[in-house]
Amino acid sequence: MASVAAWLPFARAAAIGWVPLAKNPLPPPPFRIPTSGGSPSSPSTSTTSASATTVGERRCDEKLIINISGRRFECWRSTLEKYPDSLLGSNEKEFFYDEDTHEYFFDRDPDVFRVILNFYRTGKLHYPKHECIAAYDEELAFFGILPDIIGDCCYEDYRDRKRENTERLIDDRLHEDEDKTQPKPQSIRETMWRAFENPQVSTMASVFYYVTGFFIAVSVIANVLDTVACGPDPETGYPRSCGERFSRQFFCLDTACVMIFTVEYFLRLYAAPDRLKFVRSVMSVIDVVAIMPYYIGLFMNQKGEVSGAFVTLRVFRVFRIFKFSRHSQGLRVLGYTLKSCASELGFLLFSLTMAIIIFATVMYYAEKSVVHTKFTSIPAAFWYTIVTMTTLGYGDMVPKTWAGKLVGGVCSLSGVLVIALPVPVIVSNFSRIYHQSQRADKMKAQRKARQIRIRLARNATSNAFVAAKRRREQHSDDPNSSAEKNFVNPFELQHHHLLRCLELTTDREFIEMGPDALMSSGAGTSLIPGSNAMAGLGRFASPTSHFLLNRRKWWCCGPRRRRKNSYKLSADRANNINNANNSGDEFDEELVDLRVPSSLTPRTSLTLSHNVTAINVIPPPPEQQKQLLQTSTTSITIPSLLQHDVVLHSNVLSPLLSAYNRFDLNYPFDKGSRNQLNRKANSLTTVYEHGSTNETTVDELLLKPDVGRVRSPSSITDYASHRLTNTSLIVDEQETVKITNKK
Amino acid sequence: MDDYSSSVCYTDFDDEGLETIKRYKPRSLEELANRTKFSKKEIQLIYQGFKQECPSGIVNEQTFKHIYGQFFPFADTSSYAHLIFGTFDLRSSGCVTFEDFLVCLSTLCRGSLEDRLRWIFQLYDTKKSGKLTQDDFHLIVCAVYSLLGNVSSPRYDLETIREHTVTVFQRFDKLHQGYITIQDFMSFCLNEPTIVQSIDGLRTTV
Repeated sequence: MASVAAWLPFARAAAIGWVPLAKNPLPPPPFRIPTSGGSPSSPSTSTTSASATTVGERRCDEKLIINISGRRFECWRSTLEKYPDSLLGSNEKEFFYDEDTHEYFFDRDPDVFRVILNFYRTGKLHYPKHECIAAYDEELAFFGILPDIIGDCCYEDYRDRKRENTERLIDDRLHEDEDKTQPKPQSIRETMWRAFENPQVSTMASVFYYVTGFFIAVSVIANVLDTVACGPDPETGYPRSCGERFSRQFFCLDTACVMIFTVEYFLRLYAAPDRLKFVRSVMSVIDVVAIMPYYIGLFMNQKGEVSGAFVTLRVFRVFRIFKFSRHSQGLRVLGYTLKSCASELGFLLFSLTMAIIIFATVMYYAEKSVVHTKFTSIPAAFWYTIVTMTTLGYGDMVPKTWAGKLVGGVCSLSGVLVIALPVPVIVSNFSRIYHQSQRADKMKAQRKARQIRIRLARNATSNAFVAAKRRREQHSDDPNSSAEKNFVNPFELQHHHLLRCLELTTDREFIEMGPDALMSSGAGTSLIPGSNAMAGLGRFASPTSHFLLNRRKWWCCGPRRRRKNSYKLSADRANNINNANNSGDEFDEELVDLRVPSSLTPRTSLTLSHNVTAINVIPPPPEQQKQLLQTSTTSITIPSLLQHDVVLHSNVLSPLLSAYNRFDLNYPFDKGSRNQLNRKANSLTTVYEHGSTNETTVDELLLKPDVGRVRSPSSITDYASHRLTNTSLIVDEQETVKITNKK
Repeated sequence: MDDYSSSVCYTDFDDEGLETIKRYKPRSLEELANRTKFSKKEIQLIYQGFKQECPSGIVNEQTFKHIYGQFFPFADTSSYAHLIFGTFDLRSSGCVTFEDFLVCLSTLCRGSLEDRLRWIFQLYDTKKSGKLTQDDFHLIVCAVYSLLGNVSSPRYDLETIREHTVTVFQRFDKLHQGYITIQDFMSFCLNEPTIVQSIDGLRTTV
């Protein structure tokens, strides 16, 4: 994480923005910082002079050493300077020059760098096929090389892979956005539209979906049955269709279906976000075509079913079957394939037409001499040609002359070829689109699970970090445990200090998330308000929960704990006054408020965790400390080591009450007992390395009665961003900006 | 594929050109060392980190948010990162070059107290009006709280934030004018030893 470490000064510097808002003064920095001012300038001038001379030396060609993550490459300076707008060719590489070893050090992938250096040497950039396209692109971007320069030998491959990758990413992101940006629909319109588009959304939507499907089927079947012969006409004796026999019933059925379709169409029209676009879309046209004949038939004069227009209109009723495409994805895929293969289909049609005309003409002239020939004209010969080219061969038109037979033979052979040519293209298109849609469905199903796993992993890392930070803080407060402080990583120290500043600014504290919270929704859980540390009111919630929890512990683990706990509490209070680290005033205020010392507010529990060192007053070993709550106070006893053992033991046996947070339960602060607990805890919680082996079910259950209003956490950030975007940035006079720049 | 026919979208990818990525390079190490208060080694270190995150040489707001997010577990850094980006973006162009970044960082890390207070004022003053209102404070307090994420104890909500804003604003707005000018801000901060100390405490070695 060296690169992130390099950004830490930036993060810390930006943190001065919190300072005026802070409720508590921020802690001093973790170690002495040399007073700046004059000091940075002097080394820089010396180095400038040094580098000036070395720059002068470097004018003539010399060998440069480039160290990429340990692998050293050597090349001439002039080789690199062939391409002056890349990183290696310009003086941007001076930023990476290491004075001590006189080489350029880059912390990147050595394998890809080999390819890049070859580019400088040979002038051709190749793309190694085994590399991931994204990683390769990143390296190119880092070294300032445009991918367009990739040589012809590798360019096609590169573009293909890149296109595939981008497509896939776009698809995934689209589906992700689809799922993610589904805020609660604001109006009935939006709800309806969502229900129409995704029938899985609610049961109403599914019901609607199935009902319309059913009616489409009914309507189509009715249309078909309409024409089946049903028995002879009693008056004339001719067979008549069912439609004529049961005309009333069929009419009623038809009316019902059309009613449903009309209602559905108008509902969709109402719900559509963009009505004009909806009206022009394919599905809506199909809908209209499906129901219009009925209405036209109603309004026209019904002179039996004689008028030709009326009959034509009835034909259109069959288009109702296309309404099924909303219900079937395969149909949609097919439709889309045909649309995307339009050029191939066009070619097929065109070539077929050409062939038909040619062969029909030849056939006509060949058969012209035959008496009573069926080939009366060239268009009449078209039918023969089509039937022959598609290898149907009805036999209603047959050539009689030998020339005609010859032509007929050639015609059927070539027909096979011409039709077979565009078909593979269409098939491959179909296959690609079909697989795409399959993949989309599969991805959707897997994605949720994958997101949860990713979130868990990320939260586990954050948890571990928070735990490490707290551990460090305890160790730093405790002068006895100097043995623990083996190696101090300055980056970590500063990072912890930064987080501590944030905690003090807002008067909150970072806690580790429990596995339940992690499983539910990770960072997206709802806030539970109440227990406001500043006002005393919120604390009403906590005492009850603490009390209940303590009750349980009491029952579980015996009375010895109580006394130890009380001792700790009062010792802590004694030490609080000496502790300048935390803001004194808030504490006193809350401590005074404490009627029952059991109601440890979040704030005091804060101190408790930090003042583990209070135990030093009377020395039991600090690593055996456990933070406990109690119901009654006053008695101070000195815990004996024996007690500790007992306590530890019983604690281990009841992992349910093991660590969660400073709110309540036994939180073993040292690594040893915590690890022990971890080992004993169930498999789920052992994923987390530090004390977050919490069965927060107990916690959550007990805290639930406090939930007054539950807000989604995004509300705050949304609120903030809403405000931010609403403010119009007036770019003011440059004066205000220039002032900072002057130095 | 039109939106109204299905919920499946197919991408028909035809070959278009690669999007042109803007690449930016800072001019020279010496020049930067002269302009800012950092030593060359420090600038080298900063640049290495910068380049790692943004190989194209310019930072946009998205990257800022991402980088900030690496420091604060559980946080939603978008609002605070947006505010900071606003102050770093000296030319209001939507992207920050390494030079802009270094200059601002130099002010923040090595600048005088007044400079840093001025920067803080700029941070709060998103509308660049020269005056801070309670709304501005509210915005920044929301942003800071969102850095906490929701895994802090005790939990917080909009009420807490509002109260915090009111408390802080009233501390600053001694004359009850309803707004704070930069002179008020600076004089108030300079006279508060805790604030001065805290700002000093956030200095960093690179």
